[in-house]
Amino acid sequence: MPDGLSRSRCAELVLPHLNSAYNLARWLSRNDADAEDIVQDALERALKYAASLQGTNAKAWFLTIVRHACYDWMGRNRPAELMRGDGTEAIDDAVDSRPTPEESAIAEADAQALVQAIAALPVGFREVLLLREQEDMSYRDIARVVDIPIGTVMSRLARARGLLRQSPLLHAVLPQSMRTVAK
Amino acid sequence: MNCNETVPLLPTFGDGELDPMQSAAVEKHLLGCVECAAQRDEHVALGARIKRDVPYFPAPPSLRSRIDAALADRRTVTRAQPIRDRWRWLGTGALAGCMATVLAWVVGSSVIEWRDGTDLATEAVADHVRATLSNHLTDVATSDRHTVKPWLSARLDYSPPVQDLSGEGFPLTGGRLDYLGRRPVATLVYRYREHVIDVFVRPGSESAARSAQLPQVSTVRGFNVVRTSGSGMDWVAVSDASPEVLTAFVARLARGDAPP
Repeated sequence: MPDGLSRSRCAELVLPHLNSAYNLARWLSRNDADAEDIVQDALERALKYAASLQGTNAKAWFLTIVRHACYDWMGRNRPAELMRGDGTEAIDDAVDSRPTPEESAIAEADAQALVQAIAALPVGFREVLLLREQEDMSYRDIARVVDIPIGTVMSRLARARGLLRQSPLLHAVLPQSMRTVAK
Repeated sequence: MNCNETVPLLPTFGDGELDPMQSAAVEKHLLGCVECAAQRDEHVALGARIKRDVPYFPAPPSLRSRIDAALADRRTVTRAQPIRDRWRWLGTGALAGCMATVLAWVVGSSVIEWRDGTDLATEAVADHVRATLSNHLTDVATSDRHTVKPWLSARLDYSPPVQDLSGEGFPLTGGRLDYLGRRPVATLVYRYREHVIDVFVRPGSESAARSAQLPQVSTVRGFNVVRTSGSGMDWVAVSDASPEVLTAFVARLARGDAPP
């Protein structure tokens, strides 16, 4: 067997990132119970392939496995969502659940609107955006986790942010935040 | 730097991923430009709103206890595991050994009939085609060069340089062992758009070292083959990607400096 880490050492390196793992799984699966199953599955895979954890970046390594476990789960349970994973054809869906102006006007609804808009993003955009904004990961690490070139990370981030800005769910929200900052 | 140059850089600037030179130039422009500064503020506001309003889901206690239970369970089983593992290793080892022998015999006997020079290209293409036909492109499938390199060095008498050029559009997809020029060689598998690129790496021959070679391009049965030397290695790349792309890519690999 090639040199690598023992399972217990691997668990030590990986478990500090359990929150990140669960958050990613929860956002991709959008379901508590499924996210738990996915993370447990991912942890078992991680321990099985402990020998391949040789770099220093255990977080990116583990999240790569979590993401694979998510996609396997989606492949079994929601193949339709996967098929439009990073496609642009889903933009219509993303802006579909248009709230009435009255709804948008309610300030407390703003936060909810942002959450809905992100949940409605195609999965390929959603994962890149959340790894960047919630996990503060570098483009390089995101590229590794999602297995795409850094240039694609940048273009997906731009698209994700563009979709959020265009989303009518948020129209009542963003100009307002701009105004407060501009003052 | 003007507005047209600044605006596309703003998101990357906000993410802190511009190089210091560009970053300084953007900052300078923002000091004097209200429109661009407003756009920057919009980027910042969106990021701040996501951090503030979008829930972060920490692992619930139920998951932690499940995992603790699973880990404790595993610890008690580990004693039984290695024996089974050893048998599995023996089995796959024997199988791999048989396959390697047959492959070596088939390749070896046909190699004798070829002459040097062009047959290396023909042979490399044959390896490439065999791998794609049997859908066995990689023995070790990972985009992590720190996994591929030790895997290869453990099986060869040299350690090939492995670079991940995904930043430049050539993601590493894995590595495998091949047999080329009558010896086992490391094959690095890259992807460029829809094309698979096989890169065979072996220690540089002395003749290659003497004549600092320009990349040699040839075409065998529609596949482009580019040969060059650098970093103490001989590099042979085979792909159906265009010769220009392939040549630049191989030259980049042979040059060997790590991406910034």
